[in-house]
Amino acid sequence: VASPCLAEAAMSSAGEDDRCWADCMDVAVRMARRAGQVVQEAVKQEKRVSSKSTPTDLVTEADQQVEDLIISTLREKFPSHRFIGEESSAEGEECILTDSPTWIIDPIDGTCNFVHSFPMVAVSIGFAVKKELEFGVIYHCFDGTLYTARRGHGAFCNGVRLQVSKEKDISKALILTEIGAKRDPATLDIFLGNMKKLLSAPVHGVRIIGSSTLALCHIATGAAEAYYQFGLHCWDIAAAAVIIREAGGCVIDTTGAPLDLMSRRVVAAGSREMAEYVARQLQPISYERDDHDQGTRP
Amino acid sequence: KMRVIFVANVEVEAMDHAVALARKAGEMVREALQNERSIMCKSSSVDLVTQTDQKVEQLIVSSVKEKFPTHSFIGEESVAAGQPCVLTNNPTWIVDPVDGTTNFVHGYPFVAVSIAFAVNKELEFGVVYSCLEDKMYTARKGKGAFCNGQPLQVSDQKEINQSIIATEFGSNREPEVVDKIFSTMRNILCLPVHGMRGVGTAATNMCLVASGCVEAYYEIGIHCWDVAAGAVIVSEAGGLLMDVDGGPLDLMSRRVLAANNKTIAERIIKEIEVFKPTRDDAPMDK
Repeated sequence: VASPCLAEAAMSSAGEDDRCWADCMDVAVRMARRAGQVVQEAVKQEKRVSSKSTPTDLVTEADQQVEDLIISTLREKFPSHRFIGEESSAEGEECILTDSPTWIIDPIDGTCNFVHSFPMVAVSIGFAVKKELEFGVIYHCFDGTLYTARRGHGAFCNGVRLQVSKEKDISKALILTEIGAKRDPATLDIFLGNMKKLLSAPVHGVRIIGSSTLALCHIATGAAEAYYQFGLHCWDIAAAAVIIREAGGCVIDTTGAPLDLMSRRVVAAGSREMAEYVARQLQPISYERDDHDQGTRP
Repeated sequence: KMRVIFVANVEVEAMDHAVALARKAGEMVREALQNERSIMCKSSSVDLVTQTDQKVEQLIVSSVKEKFPTHSFIGEESVAAGQPCVLTNNPTWIVDPVDGTTNFVHGYPFVAVSIAFAVNKELEFGVVYSCLEDKMYTARKGKGAFCNGQPLQVSDQKEINQSIIATEFGSNREPEVVDKIFSTMRNILCLPVHGMRGVGTAATNMCLVASGCVEAYYEIGIHCWDVAAGAVIVSEAGGLLMDVDGGPLDLMSRRVLAANNKTIAERIIKEIEVFKPTRDDAPMDK
């Protein structure tokens, strides 16, 4: 059966077809749920674990299987679309965003949690057209919570409309972050220095749960005021950025500049003031860009 | 000192009552989350308390007093109001009505009701209700630990390099204290470990140890009511409790280490920069 998006792709210069992206999003939701079920089954079984860039950057067979499931299904439905996936990138696939409709996928966000059966693991499916993020779907594999947002159409959690926190006072803020894969002493000193600076502002607290996408969803729900991280990937940011923006929040680069999806860093907050304040406190930690094969930008 | 001779039936009754109370308290917390939560501060601007903390403790205290009028009570808000915080041989309920008040204030989804019971200064049962996840953790000495009826078992991991360690920053922001906390974190991250986590409630962190999701949890600055119930749950799931200096768990010391096994516990203890907060049972300055 020809997908509506085939017709759209044939008229590639025709601009976005709003209904087409809505159809794509419906497929994304179904895929996220299906993948989530595979993850739920896999977490009960024995896991074969190996490491990628560092000994703490884990990957399992399940990551690969789930990504294959998602991409093969989507490729069949949308043969003209492009795909950026965590495991495909690890295999050497290009990680660049073109104008083509592009799916940006993290099959298992929180692999370390998955390995430990720590119940914060998500499937994240983002989608961009003409390099603009159009929708995002994040599925919490342990409790079945579904976060969705489509540009211009609001953000939702299990059908309930989301609204970020409008707290502007840093002394009343709850801050979220993640450690990232690098664990050398020099990097850890910067990482801990950033956290200490924020903690001493003082803020109400700092939380680390081991899943960037679920932490970013907590910003969208208003459960926390700001999130910052060095070391996450475009596939961790793509879906959540739409969800947070559609919930009224702000997603920017750690320098305060506009979000750079491939830069391996992000600040997200309920308000621009909060985001900019947090960004100002941060000493950077550099990670190789996701689009490193193409990069001319610093 | 009079040693209380204890009849097992009362203990079972007490535990059933604790579970029912925890559930009711959890419902109160969930309802309160729908409404605006106004905050007061205790020892500092980051040590929060709300009316819900107080209401929930009221519910628990009055219900326990009615059913077990001879029992003693140590509760976070009662102690804040001036009640003594001393464990005697008398059957004693040790309660944190809302563990994770900061999370509660923000609507961050980890908030627990913690109810423990001690006789002759020994912990007999613990109940932790993670009310936003609807997870009821229970354990009775010698009878195992459970979450929503499913038995709990700590992780069998012996390699520190493959462990996840949980901890919290607490509410003390004095620079010397913060420095020590970060020093410890640095030591542990450098081992390296798989990761560190903090969900924002001691009781829930301990249940994560009992569930096998993390290998260990340590913190300096907690109170006896934060860890009493979790201690039974960890122990009954096959884990162990210690003070962070390697000695036995001292409920009033404001320090705790809960771990899946001795190997992990001893490895972690080597890295902890120990300090001594004012004990829970220290005489109050008048």
